[in-house]
Amino acid sequence: MRSKARFIGAVEIGTAKVAVLIGELVRDGSVNLIGFGECQSHGVIKGIVTDFKAASDATHSALLVAEQSAGVKIDEVYLAQTGGHLDGFSNQASASVSAADNKVSDVDVETVCRLAKAKSLPEGRTVVHHIRRPFHLDGKMVGPTPEHLHGERLEVGYWTVHGRESVIANNIHVVRGFNVLVGDMILSSLASGTMMTTPQDRQHGALVIDIGAGTTDFVFYQDGSPHLTGVVPVGGGHITNDLTLGLRVTEGQAEKLKLRHGRALVHTRDKGDKVWLNGDFAIGDRQFPRRSIELITEARVWEIFEVVKKKLGPDFGPEACAAGVFLTGGTSKLPAIADAATKVFGISAHLGEMPPGMDDKLNRPQHATVLGLLHFGLQNRGGAGVPKRRRSGGFIQKLFAGS
Amino acid sequence: MSEATTQPPRARSWRDIPQEIEPRRMSRVGRRRLNLAFGRTVAMVVALGALSWGGYEIWQTLQQNPQRLTAGNESRPIETIDLQTNGVLDDAWLRQTLDLRDGVGLMELDLYALRSRLTASGQVRTAVLVREFPATLKVTLEERSPVVRLKAKLGEPEPRTFLVAGDGTVYRGEGYGAPLVRSLPWLGGVRLRRAGDGFEPLDGISQLADLLATARAGVPDIFASWRVVSLERLSADGQILVQSTQVPEIIFGVREDFYSQIARLDLILDETSRRATAPLRSIDLSVGASQVPVAFSPPTSFFP
Repeated sequence: MRSKARFIGAVEIGTAKVAVLIGELVRDGSVNLIGFGECQSHGVIKGIVTDFKAASDATHSALLVAEQSAGVKIDEVYLAQTGGHLDGFSNQASASVSAADNKVSDVDVETVCRLAKAKSLPEGRTVVHHIRRPFHLDGKMVGPTPEHLHGERLEVGYWTVHGRESVIANNIHVVRGFNVLVGDMILSSLASGTMMTTPQDRQHGALVIDIGAGTTDFVFYQDGSPHLTGVVPVGGGHITNDLTLGLRVTEGQAEKLKLRHGRALVHTRDKGDKVWLNGDFAIGDRQFPRRSIELITEARVWEIFEVVKKKLGPDFGPEACAAGVFLTGGTSKLPAIADAATKVFGISAHLGEMPPGMDDKLNRPQHATVLGLLHFGLQNRGGAGVPKRRRSGGFIQKLFAGS
Repeated sequence: MSEATTQPPRARSWRDIPQEIEPRRMSRVGRRRLNLAFGRTVAMVVALGALSWGGYEIWQTLQQNPQRLTAGNESRPIETIDLQTNGVLDDAWLRQTLDLRDGVGLMELDLYALRSRLTASGQVRTAVLVREFPATLKVTLEERSPVVRLKAKLGEPEPRTFLVAGDGTVYRGEGYGAPLVRSLPWLGGVRLRRAGDGFEPLDGISQLADLLATARAGVPDIFASWRVVSLERLSADGQILVQSTQVPEIIFGVREDFYSQIARLDLILDETSRRATAPLRSIDLSVGASQVPVAFSPPTSFFP
């Protein structure tokens, strides 16, 4: 029944665009996608809000367009979080099973989880996610619910993602300026990773790289759950910038050249092969060597992958990532980017695909994050990987937030 | 790795960041949403308050004096009856027709019954009665306009004059001046049927009213000479007969527009007044534009 449904808005405030997707959460827990809004982003650099007013205007425009297309008012928002300020660390804890018969109880699980999450952060940092890794009982991996199993020592690890509190507060307040509550905050990489991979992929080990305009987000799955995540503050916008400097053209012209002739691997061998800037033979139209464009784009793409590989550290390897590398995000449309990833990571890489049946308008790599926000957010409502939702505000606050 | 010995510190989460934001930091859309929400909340609180107050009042009344719930609401006696009409009826007629007893309260009035009284005469097409507190009854009337008159008996020994409106309603007619009534032609060739305290509306009056209005507007001098209009041939031949002081019988056809027929009549009367030696007996305008049979009375014999 429509009146009983809740309307969740998934909001991604990116460097190049702000995307909002509205999902209707019905009683049985399923979600209907009912509205979408997108507009050009302003006041955001490398995923961080630098101009509050400009970012607010852009975000609110996208929210308004989405609400108008859906014909409903958003109840709460799931907000994507990205940016170079995000960092992560792993923390493990173990606890002796307290029962005399060595049967794991709820208390044991709660204790070991609490210990693993308990780590002080530097001043000005705040936790975005506690991502739980699989439990181990006496050194052997067990399922997500170790209760009632027998063993002496229970261990668990958490990958804790934290960010600069002021940056995160800015993101929240941009959305709150529209008078709607932020119900959950989800890493962009986790959102797009959920959309790009199947549970089997995650079980076998998979690396998802979401190359946006200002940042590159990645998540490495192992044993079915996120093992580590990261953000590299470099994206497709930097390729454009390199072309601007290298070819001495404007940003708009560089973007056009990137989209038309850019490649992640150099393909052209003929140095005399040239392309026109505009192709209309008007004043100012000129030619550039195709090979130069490909060299510039290849160098930057290669660098992005190298940085990601370096951040993955020793845990990442071909044997730990059997499902391969999945590429998504707007820049993943660059030709031969999967080949470049294969060369850098030494494992098979391919462009991620949306689940079948997706609407044509949304079935694009740049929308993976916003789609994944809804999927991941609803999947993990009160789940183990994400802290349980705090009761938000009460009756009066809900009244105000609802309109 | 650490053992569970003491309560570990809890790291600060993004959920600890306060989401409250000052309205001035909101965008225009956000402030509008906030105002709407505030308005909705106020409306809800007011509605709840009103409901609670009403419920409390009813409960109080039930506890103290339950009869008050069934008793009519006493209001002040009527002091003013405000009449607005597009016709000739006046306050005296209104007070006489309403026949309100002295000191009657505004809330005691049965407005539906009063409206029936006002429209019963036939002269009033619609009547709107409104209570204007504390002590005024506002009456707005829309009256019918008479187009012809007739004589009929309605319970009296002697026949008396009735007026007929454009929609066929036959009514006595109150408040009209004598010159106005005298200017109306008499109606003949109709059968009156009783209905209640009056007569059933007459058929064909709308066509007659159209003819009379056209004549009154186009040729007022000729219209002033019309004495009797008859509908006896309307249903059978589609003709309206007019008897005037100039011509004993003028026949109009309802299948052609009256304006052109009256124009021809004007021309014929003009021509015959200048040329004819004998008085006119009849003019038949119902045949069509191509011919107009005109009959003259036999000339007065010079021979005995």
